[in-house]
Amino acid sequence: MNITIEDLKKVRFFDHYTDDQLKIFIGISSIKEFKVKDVLFEQYDELKEIYVLLSGCLSLGISIAKEKRIRLGTLEDGQLFSWSAVFNPYISTAWVMATCPTKVLAIDAKKLTHEFEKNCEFGFKTMSKIAQTVSHRLSDTRFQLMNQLTL
Amino acid sequence: MQDKRNIYTPLRAILTDVIEESPSIKTFVLVPEDKFAFKTGQFIELSVDGVGEAPFTPSSSPLVTEKLEVTVMKTGYVTEYMHMLKPGVFMGIRGPYGRGYPVETFFGKEVLILGGGCGLAPIRSLLYTLESIKDKLLKVILCYGSKTAADCIYKPLFDRLNSTEKFEAYRTVDKADEDWDGSVGVATTLLNMINININNSVAVVCGPPVMMKFGTIRLLEMGYSDDQIYLSMEKNMSCGLGKCGHCMMGEFFVCRDGPVFTYNEIKHNPEIWK
Repeated sequence: MNITIEDLKKVRFFDHYTDDQLKIFIGISSIKEFKVKDVLFEQYDELKEIYVLLSGCLSLGISIAKEKRIRLGTLEDGQLFSWSAVFNPYISTAWVMATCPTKVLAIDAKKLTHEFEKNCEFGFKTMSKIAQTVSHRLSDTRFQLMNQLTL
Repeated sequence: MQDKRNIYTPLRAILTDVIEESPSIKTFVLVPEDKFAFKTGQFIELSVDGVGEAPFTPSSSPLVTEKLEVTVMKTGYVTEYMHMLKPGVFMGIRGPYGRGYPVETFFGKEVLILGGGCGLAPIRSLLYTLESIKDKLLKVILCYGSKTAADCIYKPLFDRLNSTEKFEAYRTVDKADEDWDGSVGVATTLLNMINININNSVAVVCGPPVMMKFGTIRLLEMGYSDDQIYLSMEKNMSCGLGKCGHCMMGEFFVCRDGPVFTYNEIKHNPEIWK
């Protein structure tokens, strides 16, 4: 399945990218589809792709024991996830599962970091967006923690 | 008619209905002996004879003066007693007090409302007001979070708003059970899914202090200025008059000068999130 620059322009994560920068994403990405209850990756899996949710619904959580999944959140269209794929040791900190038919853009993480080295402006912009995603996740987790501590 | 009354004398009101909103939250429907008018965001003192009184922001429409709805979370002595009341008893109302939402300044704008837990009570009153002036607004978005699906109050409100022109309502739960198929996460996660023109909008935040803190930080990150964010400092409300001093927050008496403030007005106060 092919994706076009116009398709990416409709996705929130790709706001503020130039057409040339969007072409870079297209060259190193593919579209993947998942059915209900498909697990995109497990906690502690080695990650090779970074994902952007195009459509559908995904749950994200952690496992405290085998078969015991705790759902911590859901992802919305246009959100980036599996950011651990671009940071050493490239190990997932959570599991992600489809809860309805879902389509994601899977970006090859190795090729993406190679593009960062070739094109610093593209690299800075993308790493800033990834950092913002991680920052929001951290802030939301602190919010959840404070909710628990102040019960 | 309120002006002639001793400021400490409550207006009698009969409790006509008690609606169970969640395991710890009930809405009390009261019919006062006189018409009772308030502006959205203003609060009242609700009393039970021989037990005590506590401040609450009405959750009903300010356009209705014959009936008043007050949503009460069971948190202490007075509210626990209130939760045992049955229709037919008399309660007392003092007020209205304080400064509510300056809705006339919302004209021509998009309004983003971020709420959590029992904070939806004053927000519901605001929503009724905004619905009545929707022709003068561009859009109203409600993002609401509760601990669990069972803790979500006014459940029918969300479907009603989503079928109302110019209104969008989203909700999430901190902790989901197997039956919940909606969003999971704290209220701020809902801000990832909305489309809003920040330059031409205002944001309203009301809920528990933790939610108000993280919500305000996220709104500032999104690009809202300090003057565009309205906070309802419900937790600081006390005697209603600014006389007992318990509502003092920096240079302000919340009972008199609030409970609604812009973030700009109170951001320098170290007590703001406590």
